[in-house]
Amino acid sequence: MTQKSGKMDQPVIKVENLGISYETRTGDVEAVKDVTFDIHRGETVGIVGESGCGKSTLAYGMVNYLGRNGKISKGDIIFQGQSLVGRTPEELRQLRGNQISMVYQDPMTSLNPVLRIGEQMTEVLTVHRGMAEKEARKRCEEMLAKVNMPDPARVLERYPHQISGGQQQRVVIAMAMLNNPALLIMDEPTTALDVTVEAAALDLVNNLRRSFDTAILLISHNMGVIARVSDRVGVMYAGELVEMASVKEIFANPRHPYTQGLIRCLPKLGRSKEGSILYPIRGRVPPPANLPPGCLFEPRCDYARDACRQERPALRDLNPVHTTRCLFSEEINADEWTPPPDLVPIIDLNGDKANEVVDTILSVNNLQTYYSHPNSSPLSLIGLGEKEYVKAVDDVSFEVFRGKTLGVVGESGCGKSTLIKTIIGLESKTGGEAEFMGFDIGNRVRERELNLIRELQMVFQNPDSTMNPTYSVGKQIERPLRRFKTVPKEQVRDEVIRLLQAVKLDEFYYDRLPRQLSGGEKQRVGIARALAGRPDLVLCDEPVSALDVSVQAAVINLLLEIQKEFGTTMMFIAHDLSVVRFFSDYIAVMYLGQIAEIGPAEQIYAPPYHPYTEALLSAVPVPDPSAEVKRIRLDGSVPSPLNPPSGCRFHTRCPRRDLLPDGGKICETEVPPWREVGDGHRIFCHIPLEILAQMEPVIHVPEPV
Amino acid sequence: MLVKDYMTRHPIMIGPEKRVVEAQQMMTENRVRHLPVVGDGKKLLGVVNRERLNIPPDKLGSLEVWEITRYLADLTVDKVMLKKGDLQVIAPNATLEEAAELMKQHKLNGLTVVEDDMVVGIITQTDLFIELQELLGATDPGWRVMMRIPARKGEYAKLTTAISDKGWSIMAMGSVRTPKDPDHWDMILKVTDCTKDELMTLLESIEDHQVVDFRETTVYSS
Repeated sequence: MTQKSGKMDQPVIKVENLGISYETRTGDVEAVKDVTFDIHRGETVGIVGESGCGKSTLAYGMVNYLGRNGKISKGDIIFQGQSLVGRTPEELRQLRGNQISMVYQDPMTSLNPVLRIGEQMTEVLTVHRGMAEKEARKRCEEMLAKVNMPDPARVLERYPHQISGGQQQRVVIAMAMLNNPALLIMDEPTTALDVTVEAAALDLVNNLRRSFDTAILLISHNMGVIARVSDRVGVMYAGELVEMASVKEIFANPRHPYTQGLIRCLPKLGRSKEGSILYPIRGRVPPPANLPPGCLFEPRCDYARDACRQERPALRDLNPVHTTRCLFSEEINADEWTPPPDLVPIIDLNGDKANEVVDTILSVNNLQTYYSHPNSSPLSLIGLGEKEYVKAVDDVSFEVFRGKTLGVVGESGCGKSTLIKTIIGLESKTGGEAEFMGFDIGNRVRERELNLIRELQMVFQNPDSTMNPTYSVGKQIERPLRRFKTVPKEQVRDEVIRLLQAVKLDEFYYDRLPRQLSGGEKQRVGIARALAGRPDLVLCDEPVSALDVSVQAAVINLLLEIQKEFGTTMMFIAHDLSVVRFFSDYIAVMYLGQIAEIGPAEQIYAPPYHPYTEALLSAVPVPDPSAEVKRIRLDGSVPSPLNPPSGCRFHTRCPRRDLLPDGGKICETEVPPWREVGDGHRIFCHIPLEILAQMEPVIHVPEPV
Repeated sequence: MLVKDYMTRHPIMIGPEKRVVEAQQMMTENRVRHLPVVGDGKKLLGVVNRERLNIPPDKLGSLEVWEITRYLADLTVDKVMLKKGDLQVIAPNATLEEAAELMKQHKLNGLTVVEDDMVVGIITQTDLFIELQELLGATDPGWRVMMRIPARKGEYAKLTTAISDKGWSIMAMGSVRTPKDPDHWDMILKVTDCTKDELMTLLESIEDHQVVDFRETTVYSS
């Protein structure tokens, strides 16, 4: 906190014993209970917790934006010396326009798609401050420049869909800052963004806070994001604030079992599955209508004792800057925790490395997948125009070995998903070869033999949209079994139950419908369905990115166990580099349809690396405030694959070009060579390996003293 | 040292339609003496301070309890505030000296900082004191030396070069014409990286310069 010396400073907002409830048919449901905290000028307070813990309700409640059935049932919110509870809608509207701003997860929900950005932004000033149109426009341009928007004057002329997601979010942040608010509430502001864009957005938040002295409430489920920008952190569980302390204290010395659990289920960047184990938190957040009588976390807690079941613990001060809601905070030590046996995944960590036979299961050579794109010239209307192609996957070659996992990372628009879709046959290739166990898989899925289809299965990102909502879980898993005739008809039910057990779901899930399952359970069903045909290769497209951290840890462990048990080979796409690192044996970094670097996982995360890999690593929010991360930010967004840059495709954004003579002239004209590091590690760059190897590692985590 | 660096941003403000009682409560609870009154878009309309809230007895019809209660219930902030036209305000880009001058001239405790009609902050006497403290490096530990030097060209440089030649740092510095002695200047320096004796020996060796006061400062405030 940057406070000037000797000055009395009242907090900008003070939340006191706040309770928020929703009226439902069965009575009032308290979604937020007894929350107390304050935020000072120029301070960022982060709120973290699983979904369903009441984080967003708190954010909406603070500006009394709860919808028709929501109400503040208890407590008070004092903003700038005035209570916000019981205000008329008109007073609140004024406050929201003048002094409180909000930024939400999806920028498109805050922008009007049919108005130009300029019109929407100037409206803030013309309506609230009665400013003249021209003056307002000038202001907006200045503000866009402050949020590092390239070419602000032109952006004002565009419609929201004409700029990228990261730029949209910057417009929303700029709009929020136009009236110089005293309080900025950000609800998952970077969750919908790419890591590189996220890093830039978080830098921006930090700068704005410094120059405008704004108090910021930042809500996120991502511990890394919280660690990067917050001064203080509050951990919420089932509507209660269970721990609050400075960011360093929370990560170094967590004193509530829930906080400890959250930190334990995060894969640390730079750790592999051999080196560490993720421990998910068992169970799930209790629904607000059905809470345990004692401590709310008691059913999931490893330290639970009788006292915990008797009464609900109150929030108490451990020391003046650290509060917790656990009876035994002094006794529990995160370092002395031993995992209960049922949480330890059955993974043999020291597999027989020596006896392994390297057997290539999938080999891809110069694969190309182009999408044709209508030419903008009028000739194309009568079929004479020259065809343009979006080169989604362009000249990609790699091999996947049996029983191993290949992780694929890159920003969105890099062609990761197209690559997987081409392999599984949902898109047809334009050129090159793909061979799976000796079979050509260049054709589309409907032209393939049933046996081949069975061997290649996929787990999708969003389990909701890939399951038929009217089919029971049993029926979903049965379908591939019947179609592939994996087992005789009369054994289908037993096989389904066996599969359910393999993904740690009980038999009674057989008759459940998808809507009766939680996100993690749905993803398990998705995995069980993919496994039904006993495939040799499972392609996972962001299988855990839609899940909460604790569930994410459980699903990753499950996939690892399955891989161990069935010897399944996997390809794993994820945008979270720490997850990919944790899960994969080999990693391919993709940029604009090409592979920039490929090799064994541990080698990708240490120099020498491709400048693009370096930038990606630097952007990962590390859930450890003491880690030093080199700050490398890429300008702009991924160029259009319709017309990729010449030479090295990364040259337009490469921060390392000046390492080459002539400021990297060669990058613009010539396609870079593959530089072999050894062990199958290849880098696609003009910069010689010796220079790349001299670069400092991006992330430096100090050893605990 | 501009107003915008020392002002308090996002000050507590009040709307014109609020009752005076509420303004009084806000000022007491938040310990402020100066409350800008703003309309939509944080547009400055006026200011209330303690004096404006004192109600002169002749405004009341009688001193009867009911009469007073009714009068207070109807009394809104816009009726008692000092209106914008009669108000001293300052721009965020003004210097602190200008702010001090305004406060001195009009006997004010604080000024509202306004940019394009919009209230962006508030600057009070306390902020000026903080600036003075920081100007003299009060918050950092070191040797606080007060030197009296002749009002001649080059004397100033003589002193600072002597210190910097030794490789010591000058943390802060202020100079003022010696009160009632126009031929001399008083300089206040905050020096670190040396021992007391080293510094004294050096300062006493400079010709015509006189050490008026020498002390070690510890931190005044946290």
